[in-house]
Amino acid sequence: MEKEDKILDKVGGRRPFSVPEGYFDNLTDGIMAALPQEDSVKQIPVAVTPWMRIKPYIYMAATFAGMFFCLRFAAGLGRNESVQTAQAEETTIYTDEYIDSFLETAMIDDCTLYYSLVNAGN
Amino acid sequence: MGLMAYDERRILEMLREDEVSRRRAFEAIVRNFSEQLYWQIRHMVLDHDDANDILQNTFIKAWTNIDSFMGYSRISTWLYRIAVNETLTFLGRQKNVLSLDDESDETGSVSDRLESDPYFDGDATERQLQEAIATLPEKQRLVFNMKYFNEMKYEEISEILGTSTGALKASFHIAVKKIEEFFNNAD
Repeated sequence: MEKEDKILDKVGGRRPFSVPEGYFDNLTDGIMAALPQEDSVKQIPVAVTPWMRIKPYIYMAATFAGMFFCLRFAAGLGRNESVQTAQAEETTIYTDEYIDSFLETAMIDDCTLYYSLVNAGN
Repeated sequence: MGLMAYDERRILEMLREDEVSRRRAFEAIVRNFSEQLYWQIRHMVLDHDDANDILQNTFIKAWTNIDSFMGYSRISTWLYRIAVNETLTFLGRQKNVLSLDDESDETGSVSDRLESDPYFDGDATERQLQEAIATLPEKQRLVFNMKYFNEMKYEEISEILGTSTGALKASFHIAVKKIEEFFNNAD
């Protein structure tokens, strides 16, 4: 403390600086005028709408649906071809001539044939 | 609308309200602390224009970061911390500019600069004291100015600088010793 007192004795501790006249009177207004507006300072948060939230899921679902229909369409084409082939084969196999020859060699009488035709729909 | 009295609790409440209230609260803060912050900065940088610029930056920084002020410390402590950081940044930048300048003597000694400064009204001994203070490391200079010119308590300085009061007392006494030696050598 003794050394501190020596300085205080010698110099006094008085503030040797001054400011331009009226500086402190206008300081607050000057600082406030220099402050940026809050809107320009803070980043305005973008409002997230429900549509923006579900959009990625909708797009993803649409993509999967598209892929599903494409695959289904491709598979459907193949199946139609095989059905047509099978039908063609059946048409070829069961001709009238084939049925007539089958009936001729089947050793069945008209009564049995009639009976089987009547009961065929049941 | 009249001037708002400084009530820290009310100001903290208003800072969480709409923009009009926030600006009004901040204006009360500026009005209450600008002068003492100015002197703290001025003692470090010596030049009025530099002190004014740093003070403006201090408040702009405080305003733009007002949301991060959670009220854990006093507003004055928070503002002093910003002011100290801004001042040290300025001094560091100034030192870099001077070290890049081959003719660094061009700026002259602190005493010469103050002699030609229209806003320095001290005598030769006061100029010599400023010269002596300028030789101190920045941290010691901060502590000395806060204690000697701004008459702050060690507890307040401790909160601002995050240094223990014991270390601050030691720092102040070392600074005083160096200043005494400066004066002894000058005699």
